[in-house]
Amino acid sequence: MSRSTSRVTLALIGAVLLAAACNDGAKIGGPDSPSLRVTPGTNYRQVEFLANPLVSEVTVFKQQHQAYNTSMPYASAQFIPVTQQFITGFGRPQALADLLSTVLYNGGHGDMLLFYPDRDPTTTGWLSWALQPGVGAGGRKLTDDVVDLGLTAIFSSFLNPTGALCQPFQLPLCTDNVNTTARAPAGTFPYLAGPF
Amino acid sequence: MLSRRTRSRPRLLGLAIAAGCLGAAALVSTIVASDHQDTALVELNPRRDINDVYAFPASSAGRVVLAVTTQSPLTPAATSNALFDVNVLYQIKIDNSGDGVEDLVYQVTFRHRDGDEQQLVEVRGPVAPAKTGTVNTLVNIAPAVSGPINTVLGSASGLQVFAGPRADPFFIDLERFFRIIPDRRPATGPLSRLPEAPSASSFRNPGVNFLDGINAMAIVLEMPKSFLGAGAGGAVGVWATTSIAGESR
Repeated sequence: MSRSTSRVTLALIGAVLLAAACNDGAKIGGPDSPSLRVTPGTNYRQVEFLANPLVSEVTVFKQQHQAYNTSMPYASAQFIPVTQQFITGFGRPQALADLLSTVLYNGGHGDMLLFYPDRDPTTTGWLSWALQPGVGAGGRKLTDDVVDLGLTAIFSSFLNPTGALCQPFQLPLCTDNVNTTARAPAGTFPYLAGPF
Repeated sequence: MLSRRTRSRPRLLGLAIAAGCLGAAALVSTIVASDHQDTALVELNPRRDINDVYAFPASSAGRVVLAVTTQSPLTPAATSNALFDVNVLYQIKIDNSGDGVEDLVYQVTFRHRDGDEQQLVEVRGPVAPAKTGTVNTLVNIAPAVSGPINTVLGSASGLQVFAGPRADPFFIDLERFFRIIPDRRPATGPLSRLPEAPSASSFRNPGVNFLDGINAMAIVLEMPKSFLGAGAGGAVGVWATTSIAGESR
């Protein structure tokens, strides 16, 4: 075998190995090996964590997302300074950053989607437990416009008028002008609309 | 005990593979990207990505719904062949004591039926986890509900389960978002090619829902609210995780 042929062969082998490595969990179609499955007695390492929308994806800088994804609610308070830095970085007051981080990180208990299942179901909505203290059920509905609520909380006079950049739920930064899900949820199980 | 030098080799190999994957994906990716893909790791392994978490009352009194979406953005063409990852432990975790540590978990796993390609879902819980924190094990109990994906399973009075493709319920003008905060844009796909520096300072009117026409793989659980274990009038904290084999601690 010539040197150039060997190089081509090695390159092909490398490409195949690389493709195999990249294919782990990434393929869309085709069956996985039936011998592979999650089994008792094996340790599984967390690679993704999500609770409140926008907290990690928006208020935490992207280079820190991997650290966030391998965190837990009880350890997520370490990211409070980053969230506060995001808010004050737009010229918003520290008092607002303190308030929002207290809500989003549940008073230091960490990033969890807080839900009061015994409260009036009609009060369900993202952060309603904080916006309607003692009344709101919290949680998150499929129709909640979490983007507009998040933008309004950070940039508008809604929670703190000092240095507000926009009126609640208005341009330039307190709405993205997308207010509904592309397909309306169903009223019964499984609730999420059928696929496109 | 492994020496530091020995232990570092798999890490270096992993880094090399990850770098190669990034380059390969950048070359071949045709799938649209969204804010859901918040790290390169989950972007390149979309079945490990948690897109969104929901908790809301069910249509029947006294029942609640916990839902998780993953793998968005799925085009309609890709949806017909979409599957969950049989090697991923999907979990919805519940803290009912206010300390930020899970007291109960729903563990959702997938496997293939012997003899064909039909993917099956198995749901264990609610159950106290054998291990809390970021390294977990599958509880060694029989599934509470199991059956084919894309099928309503379980009991309308107990635990009800659906796992399969749904329209992504999230909505956002994602392109504009990344023009305002380009740091958060994905590593692959058309949105990755937006300018690195901010190229907009406001949203637009009308906005454009980037997820219109996009699907996700959903895991939806409905149950009596007593399954959450909250005290009377009390709160629960809910979050979702994905985990893969690979750590021995």
